[in-house]
Amino acid sequence: MPSATLAGRERPGRYWKIDLDTLELPAGDGGTVEIAAPAARGLIACTLEQAENDHAALLARVYGRTAAQSTKFGAMTVAQRGPGAFVYIPADVSVDEPILITYRGGTACYPYTVVLAERGARATVIERVEGGAGTTFCGIVEVVTEDHADVTVASLQLLPDDARAIATRDAKPGPNARVAWAIADLGAALTVGSADARIEHEGANVDIAALFFPRGTQHVDLITTVDHIAGHATSETIVKSAAAGRGQARYLGNIRIVKDAQGSLAHLHDDALLLSKTAHIDSVPALEIAANDVKAYHGATVGAIDAELLFYMESRGIARDAAERMIALGFFEPAIARFPTESLREEIREGLRAKIG
Amino acid sequence: MSATGLRITDLHARVEEKEILKGIDLVVEPGKVHALMGPNGSGKSTLAFSLTGHPKYQVTGGTVTLDGEDVLALPADKRARAGLFLSFQYPAAIPGVKVANFLHAARQAVRPDSLPPAKFRKLLMDKMETLDMDPVFMGRYLNDGFSGGEKKRLEMLQLAVLAPKYAVLDETDSGLDVDALRAVGDAIGSLRASDEGKDTGFLIITHYPRILQYVAADVVHIMIDGRIVKTGGPELANRVEREGYDTIREEIGAIA
Repeated sequence: MPSATLAGRERPGRYWKIDLDTLELPAGDGGTVEIAAPAARGLIACTLEQAENDHAALLARVYGRTAAQSTKFGAMTVAQRGPGAFVYIPADVSVDEPILITYRGGTACYPYTVVLAERGARATVIERVEGGAGTTFCGIVEVVTEDHADVTVASLQLLPDDARAIATRDAKPGPNARVAWAIADLGAALTVGSADARIEHEGANVDIAALFFPRGTQHVDLITTVDHIAGHATSETIVKSAAAGRGQARYLGNIRIVKDAQGSLAHLHDDALLLSKTAHIDSVPALEIAANDVKAYHGATVGAIDAELLFYMESRGIARDAAERMIALGFFEPAIARFPTESLREEIREGLRAKIG
Repeated sequence: MSATGLRITDLHARVEEKEILKGIDLVVEPGKVHALMGPNGSGKSTLAFSLTGHPKYQVTGGTVTLDGEDVLALPADKRARAGLFLSFQYPAAIPGVKVANFLHAARQAVRPDSLPPAKFRKLLMDKMETLDMDPVFMGRYLNDGFSGGEKKRLEMLQLAVLAPKYAVLDETDSGLDVDALRAVGDAIGSLRASDEGKDTGFLIITHYPRILQYVAADVVHIMIDGRIVKTGGPELANRVEREGYDTIREEIGAIA
């Protein structure tokens, strides 16, 4: 399913002014990638080009193995072919420090990140995109892990307010393996993101945490999808969003549990905070459950800052705007806590502080 | 100075369209402990919220001054900065805001000449020890997942850290076991014994007299149906303990 296509009742209403089906993007004009990896036995962290030349067999175990390329924007990433990165963590290697991947683009950049973790391997990847005014990014991240591997991919997007940031992310965790997506979208005029995982093996664990905050006239469209194809696996999705000014967002949280995926455990929780009367967030948790022996929970809230919380803080001498700021920042904390490294978390808090104003 | 004190004069207030306070007169002097007792629904909490500026409570008449300053003209945060404190009966939980950060922000707001971080931490640690609180509290989210007793201890910690000129304690004793009640008493006692808090005036709102075993009241007021119907010394609390509010109700019924 093309994850950027809006279907049925999710089709844009009067608030949603951007038709993703007809959205056209400029042709790619290159871009660069910078990869910084700590020393670890057998770890490969190189450009996609180099991987194609030197590690083709390894690359083939991930590249195109998820559904990412078959989405509308994923297909564009493949066709336009920008910079790329390949990360391979061999069996039983634990990479303690994060692997940093930074893409820098011009007019339009189509980056492609591929991560392969073998049996028992552990690593964290932090991906950033950087570009000037009016830049467009449209990228893919694909992750495949083997049994008992554990991979976290965090992405921070702080592009200028007139940029476009599109990202298609898809993962396949192996048996008893874990994959975590942590996504912070704070910049760009238009953000279209997906974070998916397809669980085909028992014992797998998927964690998705996302936060975004459109303000001014920013738009965010985020879809997360966890497909429970195999049973006895768990997934947890937590999304925190706020909107201010005329900021708009739509979040669609899909959890699908097929008939044979008995013993699945799925949590989906999303909270949306509206900081102005003209801000709008559509929050749509969508659970399709065909198995009968599963546990699936979802909770969603949309609302303004609670007046009782404000009064409590004001009664302690904290001025209203400072109180609102503290409450709004605190609101994001459960999602921020899912991001790796304190410096990244602090950078996200800083980005949020700047937006709250 | 005659204006000294938290002076409440003919205060009327309503919630939505219902008049709850029907003319309250009360003066809390610096360093004094006043107890305000009354049955459920008599308007005690409405008085607490009206004093501190809760947006749902509308003052429709009367005046409140704090050492001469017109409290009712100020928004809630400025009332706190003027030296007024409310210990909530049901404190709000604020996920994502750490206790330590909140306390620091509050202290900075109320006492802008505030302590350097190291001294502030020391102050917190001392006060927490008095309250028998585990230091891990500092890293927890404000009241988030706290038990009733933990919330009340945190209210008392805030009282200790902010050392207000006047503190209104809204049923701080409700739902507390004896240990927690003693901790509350100790917190108030140690504040009153400190330099910062020796002149703090208290208005302790309570349903039951038992908290007054831990904090001796100088003056006891009985509130029924939005009015203070009786004022006396500590013996009045003992009477409530023995007889409940019924005989007082009958007595004022006889007068009216």
